[in-house]
Amino acid sequence: MKKPPGSKDKRKRSHDPSRRDFLKGVGIAGAGAAVVDKFWIEDETTEAEAQAKTSGAVSGSVPIVLEINGQKRTAQVEPRTTLLTTLRDRLDPALTGPKLVCDMGTCGACTVLLDGKPVYSCLVLAVDAVGKQITTVEGLGSPEQLNSVQAAFVEKDALMCGFCTPGFVTTISAYLKENPSPTLAEVREACKGNFCRCGTYPRVFEAALAAAKNAAGKR
Amino acid sequence: MQEPQAPPKKKKKIRVPKVINGVETMVEIEVDEDAGPGWGPNNGHTLLNHRLTRVDGPIKVSGTARYTYDMRVPNMLYGRILLCPHAHARLTKFDSSAASNIPGVKAIIQSPLQEYRFAGAPVAAVAAVTPEIAQDAVRAIVVNYEVLPHVVRAEDAIKPGAPKVVPDEKEENLQQKNKAGDPQKVEAAFNSGDVIVEAEYRTPRIHHACLETHGVVVDYSGGDAATVYASTQGTFTIPGDAADALGLPQSAITAIVQHMGGGFGSKFGIGIEGMLACKLSKETRAPVKLMLTRNDEFVMAGNRSGSWQKLKAAAKKDGTLVAVRATQYRLGGLGGGSQAGQPYVYHADEFYREVFALHTNEDSSIAMRAPGHPQASFAMESLMDELAYKIGMDPVAFRKKNLRDEAYHRQLDRGAREIGWDKRNLTPGANPEPLKRGLGCAVGTWGGGGNSECKVEVRVSRDGSVNVAVGTQDLGTGTRTFTRAIVAEELGLQILDVAEQIGNSNLGSANSSGGSTTAASLSPSVKDAAIKTRLALAEKIAPLFGNPKPDEIFFANGKATAGSKSLSWKQICAALPAAGVTAHGEWRSDLQGRGVHGVCFAEVEVDVETGKVRPIKMVQVQDGGLPLNRLTMESQINGGMIQSLGMAFWEGRVIDAKLGLQLNPGFGDYKLPGSLEIPEMVPIIDDGDKREVVIGIAEACIIPSLGALANAVFNACGVRVRELPITPDKILMALNGRKAA
Repeated sequence: MKKPPGSKDKRKRSHDPSRRDFLKGVGIAGAGAAVVDKFWIEDETTEAEAQAKTSGAVSGSVPIVLEINGQKRTAQVEPRTTLLTTLRDRLDPALTGPKLVCDMGTCGACTVLLDGKPVYSCLVLAVDAVGKQITTVEGLGSPEQLNSVQAAFVEKDALMCGFCTPGFVTTISAYLKENPSPTLAEVREACKGNFCRCGTYPRVFEAALAAAKNAAGKR
Repeated sequence: MQEPQAPPKKKKKIRVPKVINGVETMVEIEVDEDAGPGWGPNNGHTLLNHRLTRVDGPIKVSGTARYTYDMRVPNMLYGRILLCPHAHARLTKFDSSAASNIPGVKAIIQSPLQEYRFAGAPVAAVAAVTPEIAQDAVRAIVVNYEVLPHVVRAEDAIKPGAPKVVPDEKEENLQQKNKAGDPQKVEAAFNSGDVIVEAEYRTPRIHHACLETHGVVVDYSGGDAATVYASTQGTFTIPGDAADALGLPQSAITAIVQHMGGGFGSKFGIGIEGMLACKLSKETRAPVKLMLTRNDEFVMAGNRSGSWQKLKAAAKKDGTLVAVRATQYRLGGLGGGSQAGQPYVYHADEFYREVFALHTNEDSSIAMRAPGHPQASFAMESLMDELAYKIGMDPVAFRKKNLRDEAYHRQLDRGAREIGWDKRNLTPGANPEPLKRGLGCAVGTWGGGGNSECKVEVRVSRDGSVNVAVGTQDLGTGTRTFTRAIVAEELGLQILDVAEQIGNSNLGSANSSGGSTTAASLSPSVKDAAIKTRLALAEKIAPLFGNPKPDEIFFANGKATAGSKSLSWKQICAALPAAGVTAHGEWRSDLQGRGVHGVCFAEVEVDVETGKVRPIKMVQVQDGGLPLNRLTMESQINGGMIQSLGMAFWEGRVIDAKLGLQLNPGFGDYKLPGSLEIPEMVPIIDDGDKREVVIGIAEACIIPSLGALANAVFNACGVRVRELPITPDKILMALNGRKAA
């Protein structure tokens, strides 16, 4: 589970004696930080905390304008709303190409381009994306007019269930702009931030190399 | 249309797999003895057995394919679940008043249970206007627990006096499930062997880690009907469960499964999350979307059971496996777990096995791709390898000696050629360099037969468009693509000339995708529908050709031909009545088969200074009768190898014994194989299999690689790690142990 950005709860928690006991029980003094985040939400809520939550506004929302796939789009967001959630849940019509999978910046399924650079949109706050050019997988090509990477993915069968695919396509499309004729090792390195569970990797690599080759042929 | 009604058909009884919650049981059914036209030779197809790009490829690569997680309907609320943070606890206080006062929170429902037996058990669920507010609400619920004794380690659970895991206090944590063979005979047989190996093998619990988490979108706003979008492997497993939870008749529920982001055995039925979503929707009279968070997916959505296997085996110097004795523990947490019986695929003169379920306070295991097989295969293949080295025999030759099915012999030869088996270390670990390479191999088997549940409709319209409809689901296996291809091939068309409709419970019935039964259940029904369509079409257009018999009109290359006359597809369809032509297909047992074989060879490099293993190459040879689509079949073989690779070296649920909590419920700590770990991969379809029938292969592909990789590690560095995952610490410990000894 993702910690809402800007929340003060974490600090408050660290003074909670039951929490210290909990950590002692885990016995992981060194690896504390990571584990704290992990169990932070699972821990029991005290009444005082519950009251604190309802005593004031949890948060407010503001309208923002984002530039997505060349269009200006408006959305109502909270300060803590991520770019990913904004695309998927706050736009109408939504952009659901970027997928919500881990919500903590480990899997790459939510990858979008921010001013041309791939980012995990689950780690970007929507308010921080204002004024930047956002490109989602939908902006790279359409089913009728696939970009060279998308076409190569279909051709090489670099997808199965397809849930990781938008992330890989976005990552690789951006990478080939930076390095138009990569080696296999460079392709592996470029998509090391994307996970696939069905096991499409070998064909993702093939597709990336084929897309590069096709583009080179056209130049 | 001539759907042959005349003389009653002769029937015969056959046994087919029926899959319930991903686990198959065999049932007897009656089928027609007189079959009808077959598939023809495997090399005689125009579309099938070719490399077909998937028909849903373009929408998936462009992000326009809509999964359940992508659905948003007007006025939809977001659901979230509160989980029990203790491995065993009794509820003493539940106060949701603060949570329900948060603006935007619409409903909070509580689990009827008062006692929770694993960390992650759902306690309550909320519905709110945004996902963020739903999360706030979950955190604002005040729950107190009386923490009760728990046990999460197998070694502890088996001890007398261990905390009782199962609710029935009379039931022990250890429960015998079955036994087979003769214990006396096997003891006697041990004496006839020249060598004996006795060892324990362990595999941890593995997570499906579907990228799309479990969940549903319940589109219900009161009234008398509901639509449920579900990430499921069984379209038809949804309406019944949803009807119960919503209090509607089953016929009022439509389940929709257009695309789904991975299941691997974990997604049958609506699940607890689906029931909670329905109840929230019923209470609020508003649509509810409830997709599990990644953390919740790890701790409450099931897993592959772990295993603890104590094996003893004897072999003669000539390679005959004379005796195998096995004590097998299935580690399924609250569930029973699964484990194929030893000696797995091998023939032993005598064997005896006892299989137990050993319960712990952990989320119940559920089906996962080839339930119970990778665990059994890893142990048995490691054991076979140990025996082979002990008698000084080539591990491939030793396997052949004890495998009676010729298919394995053919595949072992093929795989050995591809990997370069001759370059293996005759003395494991002998290479003096710190980076040591080694080779290993293993074999696996699966059923993959179909059952009679699929009803398919094909419709040809007057404008020439063709539609094939059936309620089945595509898990990413390529179901849509082969469904189209079968119809297109039968009618002499191209794949883009046909459209398919699937993933809707209002369409013709279909089985759940479990046990690799989809291809062998669906494709015969599609083929039957396509044949009937062709004959019905031929009958309607016969006047255009001077009234030949229906089977004297041939459909190929977008044309119909009878004698010397050819007409285009558009021309013949224009002659159809306004309603076009419709035909319905039923399953035919003669178009499918059962029983597949696969072998895997692996090469790895072990750094004996760091213990790190680098996979170099994997080769898998897999048969499956008629390959419906070579491209997607190869992808499946790759996928099986890669999931196996993860199990071999990185994956495993890590649980804290004292707290009973999973320590790695996220992709940061639960290590999936990534792009840097993937070796050169060679998926080989075994065309030596001449069976002209369709057989499912999805599960088969995940089985043999574990053994092959583990054996390659041994061949590389000379020490054997008998507990998965094979991590650097275990290799270094084993190397140190050897030095000490």
